[in-house]
Amino acid sequence: MNAIHIKGLTKTYDDTEVLRGVNLDVKKGEFYCLMGPNGSGKTTLVSIVASIRSPTSGVIEIYGKSPEQAKHFIGYVPQENFSSPLLTGRENLMYFARLLGYSRKEAGGIADNLLEKIGLSHDAHKRVSHYSGGMRKRLEVATALFPGVELLILDEPTTGLDPSARRTFFSLLEEIKGKETTILLVTHIGADAELASRVGLIDKGVIIAEGDPEQLKDESGLENAVTVETVVQSAKVVNVLKRFGEPVLETDAGYRIHCTNAEEIIPDMVRSLDNAGVKVTRLEMANPTLEDVFFHLTGKPVGVDE
Amino acid sequence: MNQVRATFTKTLKEFLRVKATLFWTIAWPILWVLLGSFAFSQDIPEEILPLVRGAITIPMIVFALMIAGMANIPGNIGEDRERGLLSKLRSMPVSPWKDFTGRFLALLTFSCVAVILVGAVGYSVGARVSGSVADGLTSVVLLLVAITASAGIGMLIGTFIKNVHGATMTGVGVSVLSAAISGVMIPYSSLPGILQSFARVYPVASVNSMVIYLMIGEEYTGYNPLTAGQVVMTITMAVVLFVAGLTAYSRLCWKKE
Repeated sequence: MNAIHIKGLTKTYDDTEVLRGVNLDVKKGEFYCLMGPNGSGKTTLVSIVASIRSPTSGVIEIYGKSPEQAKHFIGYVPQENFSSPLLTGRENLMYFARLLGYSRKEAGGIADNLLEKIGLSHDAHKRVSHYSGGMRKRLEVATALFPGVELLILDEPTTGLDPSARRTFFSLLEEIKGKETTILLVTHIGADAELASRVGLIDKGVIIAEGDPEQLKDESGLENAVTVETVVQSAKVVNVLKRFGEPVLETDAGYRIHCTNAEEIIPDMVRSLDNAGVKVTRLEMANPTLEDVFFHLTGKPVGVDE
Repeated sequence: MNQVRATFTKTLKEFLRVKATLFWTIAWPILWVLLGSFAFSQDIPEEILPLVRGAITIPMIVFALMIAGMANIPGNIGEDRERGLLSKLRSMPVSPWKDFTGRFLALLTFSCVAVILVGAVGYSVGARVSGSVADGLTSVVLLLVAITASAGIGMLIGTFIKNVHGATMTGVGVSVLSAAISGVMIPYSSLPGILQSFARVYPVASVNSMVIYLMIGEEYTGYNPLTAGQVVMTITMAVVLFVAGLTAYSRLCWKKE
């Protein structure tokens, strides 16, 4: 039996079709990542799985049950920081454990175990308002790891976390991964998706490609990606880079193009940029990422809002 | 019961840990008890001063209950909604009715704390009452009616005003304004005719008058509010507001989108 079975799922708000016939199967124990830009429908999709929204049409089953019936074994972590800043970490966990029906004593034991698991035992009695963003996110993931949870849904869990906090967060996921728990992660960050065993790229309410991260990159046919960081942002740079590879993607790190012979073209590229009066501060050749694959398939970067 | 206890504990701790909540619900009414007892009662004959101070303390107790229900409850709901807790709760096997019961019990407990503290300050500055023990017990029941009405109004504000600051400020605004125009802050006899009519049907103001009537005397209310008609009207209005608030909260805040 699949952990998640979705067939022909649609969701319409007024006249806007947010999900347009999504088909998705996630196996039990699998770590599945749904990657797409903001507005692509990924949060709507997981909130239907988490029983927060209702679909307009289509079939959705969680371990063979409707999302409403499956609430007992779903652990959902929304994008927002939902833990109470006025309560301590332990009090927050006790609150969620008792909502699930555990007695005070049982809830205390579960909270202590979880705090140890997420590395927050020493900060258990600190108010959450004194936690860092990474600590708070780990605490919130712990609210979805109570005994009996079989499907963990994480909506953009690394948004707002610094690189160090992200690494700590993913080491926690590495621990959970591969055990009985199925993980459904939603993100627009390619590096986050790399950890998943399977990735679905979603755009305009449809899953446009699916596979394990390496498979998706191989099938895209992309060989190299070259990132050029310049002092100023200008059309002149785009015009020069277009000669070496199209389309030219603008990212936070600079301009990015894809090509098959990066080592050969880089000297020419540097000369051309220099001749055009463009000052290059960094030039980097790398293997393509899942963000590159998304860009290759849709012609738009995954980091932009739709 | 665990769900009710969980929400009760969480909500009560949050009420007690927010300085603004403590200020508006406890410190502000105490401030008015002190001001009323010393600054505004200097020309009052000594023999009636304890009862006058009692008549100043009771409205401040009622005002504390108004703020607790009308501002703290919507603020608490608004905060839970804004930070995504309500979404998280909707994904869990949690009953909105149990969540509501937990919140209401926390409100009751917090209101009791406020009533005791405001009452104690009033007593310590010389406020006295003349009612019997039976009148006192009746007054406690009436104050529960006021809390019920305030909670209903608070739930309605919390349901329809999505922003936490907006919900809290609306709650404070409704409390202060309605207290001012219904005879809680200003003596009933000073109100114009139309507002006197409002004071008789507005359950919180009506309870205020009934408690003063029972515990201090008719001369301090300006009329007899303890008629069968007004008692029935007050309880009915409180129940209607409470049911409306409860229905709006459980249907709209917990609705699947």
